[in-house]
Amino acid sequence: MVLLRQIRLLLLAELRQEVRSFEVVLTSAFFSVVMMALFALSLGALPVESQLMAVPGALWLSVAFVGSLTLTRVFDRERESDTLRALLVGPVNRMAIYFSKAAVALLVLLLAAAVLVPGLIVIFPGAAPMAERPLFTAAMVLLGCIGYVAVGTLFAAGLAAGSGKNVLLSLILHPLTTPVLMFNLVATRALLEAHPGADAYLGRLAAVDVVLVVLGAWLFEPVLVGGGGSGGDAARPARTGAGR
Amino acid sequence: MIRRFLPDGMLLAAALIFPYSVARIFLDTPIERTMGTAFKIFFFHVPMGWLTMLMAVICGVAAAIELRRRSTTASAVALAAAEIGFVCGLGVLLTGPIWGNATWGKPWTGDARQMSTALLWLVIAAYLLIRHYGPSGSRRLAAGLAIFGAVDVPIIYYAVKLWKTTHPTTEVVGSLPPALWAAFWPGLGAILLCTFGLMGLRIRQLVLAEQLDEAWVRVTDREATDGTDLS
Repeated sequence: MVLLRQIRLLLLAELRQEVRSFEVVLTSAFFSVVMMALFALSLGALPVESQLMAVPGALWLSVAFVGSLTLTRVFDRERESDTLRALLVGPVNRMAIYFSKAAVALLVLLLAAAVLVPGLIVIFPGAAPMAERPLFTAAMVLLGCIGYVAVGTLFAAGLAAGSGKNVLLSLILHPLTTPVLMFNLVATRALLEAHPGADAYLGRLAAVDVVLVVLGAWLFEPVLVGGGGSGGDAARPARTGAGR
Repeated sequence: MIRRFLPDGMLLAAALIFPYSVARIFLDTPIERTMGTAFKIFFFHVPMGWLTMLMAVICGVAAAIELRRRSTTASAVALAAAEIGFVCGLGVLLTGPIWGNATWGKPWTGDARQMSTALLWLVIAAYLLIRHYGPSGSRRLAAGLAIFGAVDVPIIYYAVKLWKTTHPTTEVVGSLPPALWAAFWPGLGAILLCTFGLMGLRIRQLVLAEQLDEAWVRVTDREATDGTDLS
């Protein structure tokens, strides 16, 4: 109960901060429109049967790039005023920090998807099955975004807590999230091709999400503040760099 | 004493077995009817594929121990495993297309296992980049990445079963005729000995480098405290 209360409080604080400027929501929505315009220019002339393969890629690549932008910006706020460190030393369960940040990133990503999916349906006639099965599409987008933010929140927080450059986030995030994005691609293609076993893909996506969320929550504290003992490489002056 | 010379002994044994295994592969096994000589790649491609997966798992487990106990040795094992996994993965990705070209007529078919091996290799490469070029404190981040990479291994394996694939199934190895098995095992043994020998040497070198760093920090700390120059 305490954990849920802390998650709620932290989430409300995040949302209050976002509502003051709508910075992350607006930049993510605009970036989604830009991505759609680029995909429309590059793939818009494809015949409908080829669009069945192009649309899943366009959707999930856009989600991946918007997600990377969102996570960077969400944690930039913490970095600018060093508030993540304050949260970490405060009497707050670290999992509450993880889940509240993940929830904010998820909300922004879902809003971006709410721009992307209708846009892709308008641009690509091959994406029409997404409009015909809105519940399936919504569930698929939700599950896909959960998997993405489960991984992304952990590593964006890890970089924000240290002196890591944000450019490293893409380096870490994209190889790690590609398996979940591949599951999403297959589910989307199954939907577009009206595959009879399309529903089963949602179950598999949910199973992957459970693994990623549990792992992300479990690793959040060790990655941010380390395991047992004291010292560690963060405390040690580096003569020859972090690795050799 | 045994521990000190174990990696060198393994490398020596590998150096002795390797020419024998190459002779078995190229002289004692028949030429495959459809693929021709390109089939010989199998004897190197499969062990390297297994080793890439194994090294990703070793790296992940060592990274988990490193996160839990802040162990220098675990950190060294994780880095050494990632480096060897990177090389083996590169070998798999280079030999695979040669096999693919002989079997399917084109080097890259976008097959699930090709894609997933490439992805695992990218995760290993990202781990190495973070370890080598990351800022201070990035070892924990790299360890988290390695753990996720290790968890990706069964997901990747599952992906092969989930998606229709042109790649030979894992049962291919089990269905090999005895003559090919006889040539496969010495090669696998040589590659394993070479891998673990090199890994042992690299771990020892990394641990010594860490101890050297710590000694340097102690000396500079003492210099700062006493105002004496010990260099």
